[in-house]
Amino acid sequence: MFSFIVRRSVGMVVSVLLVVTITFILMQLIPGDPASVLLGPNATPEQIEALKRTWGLDRPIVVQFYKYFANFFRGNLGESIFFRQPVLRIIGQRAETSVFLGIMALLVVVGLGLPAGVMAAIRPNSWLDNSLLLVALAGASIPSFWLGLMLMAVFAGKLHLLPSSGYTSVIATGNIANLKNLILPAFALGFVNAALVARTARSSMLDVLRADYITTARAKGLRDSTIILKHALRNAAIPITTVVSFTFASLVSGAVVTENVFALPGVGSLIVQSVLKRDYPMIQGIMLVVAVLYVVINFVTDLTYAFLDPRIRYR
Amino acid sequence: MRLARTLLRRKAVLFALLVLGALLIVAAFSPLFVPYDPDALNLTGRLQPPNLTHPFGTDHFGRDILSRTLVGTRVTFILGLSISAFALVFGVPIGVLSGYYDRLGMVVMRVIDALMAFPAIILALALMAIMGKPGMVNVIIAVGMVWAPRMVRVVYSSTLSVRENTYVEAARALGASSWRILLRHITINLLSPVIVQATFTFAFSIMEVAALNFLGVGVPPYVPTWGGMMNEGRTYINRAPWIIFFPGVFLAISVLSFNLVGDALRDRLDPKLRNVV
Repeated sequence: MFSFIVRRSVGMVVSVLLVVTITFILMQLIPGDPASVLLGPNATPEQIEALKRTWGLDRPIVVQFYKYFANFFRGNLGESIFFRQPVLRIIGQRAETSVFLGIMALLVVVGLGLPAGVMAAIRPNSWLDNSLLLVALAGASIPSFWLGLMLMAVFAGKLHLLPSSGYTSVIATGNIANLKNLILPAFALGFVNAALVARTARSSMLDVLRADYITTARAKGLRDSTIILKHALRNAAIPITTVVSFTFASLVSGAVVTENVFALPGVGSLIVQSVLKRDYPMIQGIMLVVAVLYVVINFVTDLTYAFLDPRIRYR
Repeated sequence: MRLARTLLRRKAVLFALLVLGALLIVAAFSPLFVPYDPDALNLTGRLQPPNLTHPFGTDHFGRDILSRTLVGTRVTFILGLSISAFALVFGVPIGVLSGYYDRLGMVVMRVIDALMAFPAIILALALMAIMGKPGMVNVIIAVGMVWAPRMVRVVYSSTLSVRENTYVEAARALGASSWRILLRHITINLLSPVIVQATFTFAFSIMEVAALNFLGVGVPPYVPTWGGMMNEGRTYINRAPWIIFFPGVFLAISVLSFNLVGDALRDRLDPKLRNVV
């Protein structure tokens, strides 16, 4: 187990270094230089030169690269051009909405996808299975922002059941009812991924249900529910865990658009604003945070497998 | 019941092919037969619900939604095809070479993994910001850069298995050059996974393009696109939901059809690859 963790940790560090390098290279591709972008068209050449000096942009690229790395590991991701505040602080302020939205969407993903997949596997090729297949296929093809807008039109516009947009911090106000604002977005975001989890859960349960130990369990006269929940589901967990962790990337992508649809003050709407305002340090910071998070989540998923299935540790 | 499922699958695939055929015709010839000029303003007929003269209704400028949706098909298909082509042109050579040369593969695949750590839309948004202006070519590059690494992945892992075949060994024993082996023996046998992946690339990329247009950072707003139409309709979501409804349905049906065809191709061409992609 120890050598497995070491090997995977090295892999993770390499990935993080590469992610940092890629963002650095991408920002070098911006036409013109950041200093004149920040100061606007009316800046004098002297002002631009002065700013370049303070930012170290007049130094050789290798030095800039080194500084960039050093700052990254100190947790300094630069300063936002628009907000005039440290990038990481702004991301932190926006994180609550995105994290709560993500958790609620994940609940939708697992809460809808897992039971649907398990039920489909128990009675394969039944009408239930076939309709789930159809819903899953459709779910994977519907753009989440369109689903979000339609849900908004029906549940907020017509039926007035749920709020259509906005969100006020639960942590700051202590009012847990604010989470109501995240129900529609979480559903719009989760539904698409629930389809994927349902399909994986179905096929992995089908494999397991054919195994000999399930036959044995049946022969022992165990109840169906015990067989499904205790014997089958636990063994079907690995592929399902993989898909659930993959949904992270997809949830982040979806959240960018969904937060925009529902006017939620999260990291997703922040990056869109930053793109429209050409706030490059902000864009770069968000890319870094999200990608590093992704690498770390993958690492944790790998460790979870090794924990769930001892065979993996020795590969 | 198994038979029913197969038939359902077949019927669904047949339906998908018909839909794609129809959409292709619309994409090619829609300007010839749309009922209205998609850009014609009609300020007295704003926000009309679907009716006999305007089957999909009109938007806040009185423009005909049906005509705009049909014309939007063309942009969608041009972008989808170009992005898939972009992914192929970069993905296939890089993937084959990385799969064939181990050292190169080790380095390239690390970079590919790192590129794939950026969620698709975030990378596309950042690339749009870096390139500066909205526009078709920039959208193709931005979304293409997102999907090329995924193509590399698929081609790489397929190359790893194809190069182990006896005929590759035989060719090498006969003294064939590396280039000959790569082109005539390996690349040619990658056709099925590449076609399958290209189909999925098309499906995902048109969805992503719609998202970019919806966020207002894709194609300039004067070009009628499905995503752009949905963006413009947002303000009127409660008064005139049809502005958003119809382009979204067209998008979902296109993506669904490509996914169905992709699934069917994958099952048909190579059942072993089901878990690779």
